Amino acid sequence: MVRFLRHYGTLMGMAAIVLVFWALLPQTFMTARNWLNITQQVSMLTVVAVAMTVVMVVGDFDLSVGSMASLAGIVAAVLFTLGFSVPAAVAVALVVGLVGGVINGVLVSVIGILPFVATLATLTMYSGAAFILSGGKTIFGRDIPQSFGDFAKSGLSLGSLADKPVVLPWLTVLALALTGAVFVVLELSTYGRRLYAIGGNAEAARLAGVRVTWLRLTAYGFTGVGAAVAGLMYASRVASANPTQGEGLMLNAIAAVFLGMTLTRHGQPRVLASVLGVLVLGVMDNGLTQLQVDSYVREVLVGLIILLAVSISALGRKAIGRR
Amino acid sequence: MTYSITRRGLSRALVLAAGFAALGGGAALAAGEKIAVITPYLSQPGTQFYVEAFQARAKELGWEVNVIDTQGDVAAVISRMEDVVAQGVNGIVINVDPSQIGAGLDAAAAANIPVVGMDAGADPRIKANVTSNGYEMAAVTSVYIANRIGGAGGVVMFTFDAFPPVQVRGVIADAVFKNYPDIKVLDRITPDVSDGGIADSRAKMEALLAANPEPGSIKAVWAAWDQPALGALQAIEAAGRQNEGIVITGIDANPQARDAIAAGGNFEASVAQDFTGIGSTAADTMARVLGGEVLKANVIYVPTQLVTSVNAK
Repeated sequence: MVRFLRHYGTLMGMAAIVLVFWALLPQTFMTARNWLNITQQVSMLTVVAVAMTVVMVVGDFDLSVGSMASLAGIVAAVLFTLGFSVPAAVAVALVVGLVGGVINGVLVSVIGILPFVATLATLTMYSGAAFILSGGKTIFGRDIPQSFGDFAKSGLSLGSLADKPVVLPWLTVLALALTGAVFVVLELSTYGRRLYAIGGNAEAARLAGVRVTWLRLTAYGFTGVGAAVAGLMYASRVASANPTQGEGLMLNAIAAVFLGMTLTRHGQPRVLASVLGVLVLGVMDNGLTQLQVDSYVREVLVGLIILLAVSISALGRKAIGRR
Repeated sequence: MTYSITRRGLSRALVLAAGFAALGGGAALAAGEKIAVITPYLSQPGTQFYVEAFQARAKELGWEVNVIDTQGDVAAVISRMEDVVAQGVNGIVINVDPSQIGAGLDAAAAANIPVVGMDAGADPRIKANVTSNGYEMAAVTSVYIANRIGGAGGVVMFTFDAFPPVQVRGVIADAVFKNYPDIKVLDRITPDVSDGGIADSRAKMEALLAANPEPGSIKAVWAAWDQPALGALQAIEAAGRQNEGIVITGIDANPQARDAIAAGGNFEASVAQDFTGIGSTAADTMARVLGGEVLKANVIYVPTQLVTSVNAK
């Protein structure tokens, strides 16, 4: 029973959440359109959470993803105002993400600063850089090219339902593609297996000939680029860039990975589990909004669910350990 | 579990109420409507005032209002708009720039759900934006100065043309001062606002005071918002020239400006937006839209009020 709860408790909890919303919102919740909405709403968080999974596999984490997301959006928007084309501006923003990630990697892996301290410092630095570049202002309106804003409003046509077109949003497509890519890297490549080896026991991995320093450094490259991609997706969705707009992504991404970890056998971060964690957060937001639950109550509930999931998982592990 | 049962009971009652309202026709239509107010800025004082006023008026109208605060997250405004569209609300109220939430406005438009703005900005997909008239506020303070100085003398202007809502204020002040042949605009200053606007305005004003040492050479300071007015006041007092009768005006009537005006010094006037009026007017506007009225004007202005030492406190 304990073992069952430990392995499937979170999954059952997730199913229960969906069932409750379905029962309370029979007309509007379990519809294709609503679920397409949800996938689009969580697409940015998915990208950050999936990228965050890579560093958490190694046992590190990255607090700077939110401000990197803001910075990437600002970089692209400022370049737009200078007359850069969309592909050029996006490419530069992605390079900024990669460089920011590598800086984190060097600080943590080469210099040996604790991830919490190193990425807390770069969090404020990247955020400050976004403020400096933008002058503290929101960049919007004519400064943002039409095609950049239109990306987040359009998608892949899936035919029509009840005379209305059903569209798989590009943001969802992008999130799916990046999730697939990180899945291949983490689950199907030797690179990924080495990262898990470091996360399991860094010293043992080192003695086994795994290049721990180098691999930890490269893992941060993923979070940097992932954060930049998410920041660009966010900027496209709101057709504007603001130096603080990515802030909410960091804690939610870490929460999603933790939620996902309660699903996996040894409590390891796994890509698909992180995606399920993201979906729980997204479904909660969507369902509770439709139920007209106060937005502050919603936050308390989300926190409670994370605690509940992690508690069940911890108690389960303890009970198994005792036997 | 009891929670979910009452919830279900409640929504059933609502469905029934909505059904009766539909049967009752026009007059009863507005009662029992579900309205979502979605804002990223609920923690800002102005927003709180108009959201509370909106709720109060909505209660009188018998509406069920759901206030959603996304805490600065504009993308979440779009997401929550999509959610309430799926839920099937009767109307949505926003207070964020429409150009940032195009996808949410599209979702509402596709479902024929009317959107009303509170201090939001104009957009074809918004039935009406309820706000204060920046032209009017600038007219009130610039004419106040022209009258106080008898239509003659040197005036310093603090403007900020990069921000559209403030730019329109400067345009009006330009026109008013130009209309008096004996008013000379000594300088039209754009302060650096990265530190909030007070410190740099003070520095710029100190330089101008040094350049115009003759008492009476500067008759007035017109500021497009309160911070430069406060900076100019500090500069004038620091230079010991507070008894020359230099008249200062601001706009917005923020608490610091009200204190300065109430103290009875050089800072004589500002203009207050009626946030409560914006909230209740937004509710009335939504009621008109839900009642089937087609609004001719898509911007509705709520009157503002001149604040002087008489009513500053």
